Amino acid sequence: MDQNISYDAELDCVGLFCPMPISKTKEEIENIEVGQILKVEADDPAAEEDISRWARRVGHEVLSMERSGNIITIWIKRKK
Amino acid sequence: MSKILYIQTSGLDTPERLYAPFILGMTARAMDVDASIFFMIKGITALKKGEAEKIKIGSFPSLKEVMDQALATGVKMYICEQSTQLLGLDRGDFIPQAKVAGAATLNDLALDADSVISL
Repeated sequence: MDQNISYDAELDCVGLFCPMPISKTKEEIENIEVGQILKVEADDPAAEEDISRWARRVGHEVLSMERSGNIITIWIKRKK
Repeated sequence: MSKILYIQTSGLDTPERLYAPFILGMTARAMDVDASIFFMIKGITALKKGEAEKIKIGSFPSLKEVMDQALATGVKMYICEQSTQLLGLDRGDFIPQAKVAGAATLNDLALDADSVISL
């Protein structure tokens, strides 16, 4: 079901480790409009906790997360 | 509930420094305080599977026993796996109760805590 979430931009962070997924996600979310959705894929095991906390801290909304093997996919809505 | 964050940067080369966050953490839980330990830099070495069992200092129980007690009381543990790259160690093989996390998590925990203690 989650895979049906439509998104406006996607970011591939596979192969990148802390803090790069956060830096790249911040950069990329600033390239979409408020209300639009960014889909991020990462394989850094720290990314799940880090991106969730980053989003909450910055004020964006994590709509969904899905893990498949080593890859975590996170859908984030730009809120501001 | 008040929150305390302990940051453990000391590792297996200074075993006498390894007990404190677990003992402080479980005591915090007894005081109805939310307690988290963030292991980074050399601190991560004590969470490699099988290492805590080997540490026993003075008349203290093994580090594993103290760690298990801390976990049982609800002390949360986070591990900066990226520190392996700093130390030239392999990724992974950490105790499963510690959540792998990174820079954003440490900053967030520190901002949320009422007190941060670095060890």
